[in-house]
Amino acid sequence: MLEINDIHVTYGRLRALKGVSLSVRQGEIVCLIGPNGAGKSTTLAAVAGGVVPHRGTIVLDGKPLAAGRPEQTARLGLSLVPEGRHVFGTLTVAENLRVATYMRRDRAAVAADYERVLNLFPRLKERIGSPGGRLSGGEQQMLVIARALLTRPRLLLVDEPSLGLAPKIVDQVYEILLAARKAEGLTLLINEQSSHRILKHADRVYVIRNGHIRLHDDAAKLADGEAIKRAYFGFGDEPAAADEPEEEAA
Amino acid sequence: MIGLLQNLVDAASLGSLYALAALGVGLLFGILRLVNFAHGDFISIGAYALIVPSFEVTAQLFIGTWSWWLMIPTITLIVVIVALISDALVFRPLRRASAPTLMIASFAVSYVIQTGILLVYGARPKAANLWAGLDTPLMVGDVRVPLLQVITIVATLVLMAALTLFLKRTRYGTMMRAAAEDFRMAQYLGVRGDFVIGLAFAISGVLATAVSLLYLSQTGTLSPTMGVPLALFAFVATVIGGMGSLLGAVVGGFVVGVVVIMLQAYLPADLRAFRDAFAFTFVILILLVRPSGIIRTRALVERV
Repeated sequence: MLEINDIHVTYGRLRALKGVSLSVRQGEIVCLIGPNGAGKSTTLAAVAGGVVPHRGTIVLDGKPLAAGRPEQTARLGLSLVPEGRHVFGTLTVAENLRVATYMRRDRAAVAADYERVLNLFPRLKERIGSPGGRLSGGEQQMLVIARALLTRPRLLLVDEPSLGLAPKIVDQVYEILLAARKAEGLTLLINEQSSHRILKHADRVYVIRNGHIRLHDDAAKLADGEAIKRAYFGFGDEPAAADEPEEEAA
Repeated sequence: MIGLLQNLVDAASLGSLYALAALGVGLLFGILRLVNFAHGDFISIGAYALIVPSFEVTAQLFIGTWSWWLMIPTITLIVVIVALISDALVFRPLRRASAPTLMIASFAVSYVIQTGILLVYGARPKAANLWAGLDTPLMVGDVRVPLLQVITIVATLVLMAALTLFLKRTRYGTMMRAAAEDFRMAQYLGVRGDFVIGLAFAISGVLATAVSLLYLSQTGTLSPTMGVPLALFAFVATVIGGMGSLLGAVVGGFVVGVVVIMLQAYLPADLRAFRDAFAFTFVILILLVRPSGIIRTRALVERV
């Protein structure tokens, strides 16, 4: 469904991605794990059109995506839930949700989707008239996921859904993601900093560090966590591109 | 007492113009992080579009002689088109540029428009008499209120109400508020960035038109740089109101209007020539007390 081929992204003098390739098949849950600054968010932003790779291609359903056109990419059924919960703070919950439906032409289906998504998130229903900025962190995370679902994506990219949330809330977020996946037939590509939760749910795992993919395998084969640890921290036997100068990443 | 009331009416009327101009500046700043110094020249365009191109000192009204219901939409259309063209030619290629770059580009647009006016209409200020019937005063008690000032205040309130309704109640308004708060996120949700920005330019063109018609009918004078002080005061109004807040722009506009009129009225006669210096001193004082403006927004801090 999604093919990322050898993309390179540079921010000024910082090389954030140095040739990342990754694929997601229809119906899969794929997880991209890596430390802070490894290039996880940049990878997802590049797919969604938020940053422009200076090399490499991104192909969705066999067609190359136009780089740097997030509005176009959203219309192709790909939705990004960025890191840090970008809720529109002064818009109400209802308005936050509605913004996501404005590009859709199927008005009747939108109304039905709106009801269905709100039923998935009873907490949002209770707070439908509150400004997004007044919600708790967990509620905001629910809101951005609900909002992304209302664009009717086939592929949902989720950037660090557990960031800054209490473990109990994170469990809820994952329950919702899995329920939504079942209900909507979603394919998921999720970024996380740690692997312990995601290994249960993911079909395949990629480990990224310093702008390179260091490891890629079925989640089942990585269950003991040893290989992930080595790739993640960069020690051990894996043939890392150690000649690269280490850069400070933002 | 009557003098004070009179001054307050003047302040409300001048403040209305500043508030309208500040809304036009604030709207574009909110969405694009563009401090648009060409906004004043959009105002000049609206005024010059009323008259026949010539180098004569007395302006010959052309569109200005039409009935108001035909004239206002025509002038609005002209200004909106100029605003959209400046977006398409100058600001669209600079979408990924920094805020200072955008601001400098707006200076360039400003000079191009001023020079264009100079080429077509000449450099000398012109007298023009728009809506001559409107300076008949209304007597409210003992206060003389020129009808034009009433119209200015009412038109401003109507435009603000319409803008508020548009932003709060329509889908395009909701898109604009979303984009003003987090432009990239709105794009990820399928909101077309260029469309929203074009809409903001168009609305700022409408607001500029209102200022040009009201301002011209009050002053009766046209000059190629007539919009510059308006843009400057509008910019000051958005800064003291709180950059990024439309309510702040309005509040700031009225504050500036009140300050200017009150200084004009109560400064000793010898110092009146330096009115603007005192006005800007006051602005600096406000900013010392509230550096982020009267109405604080998160919009500036949260931009990553």
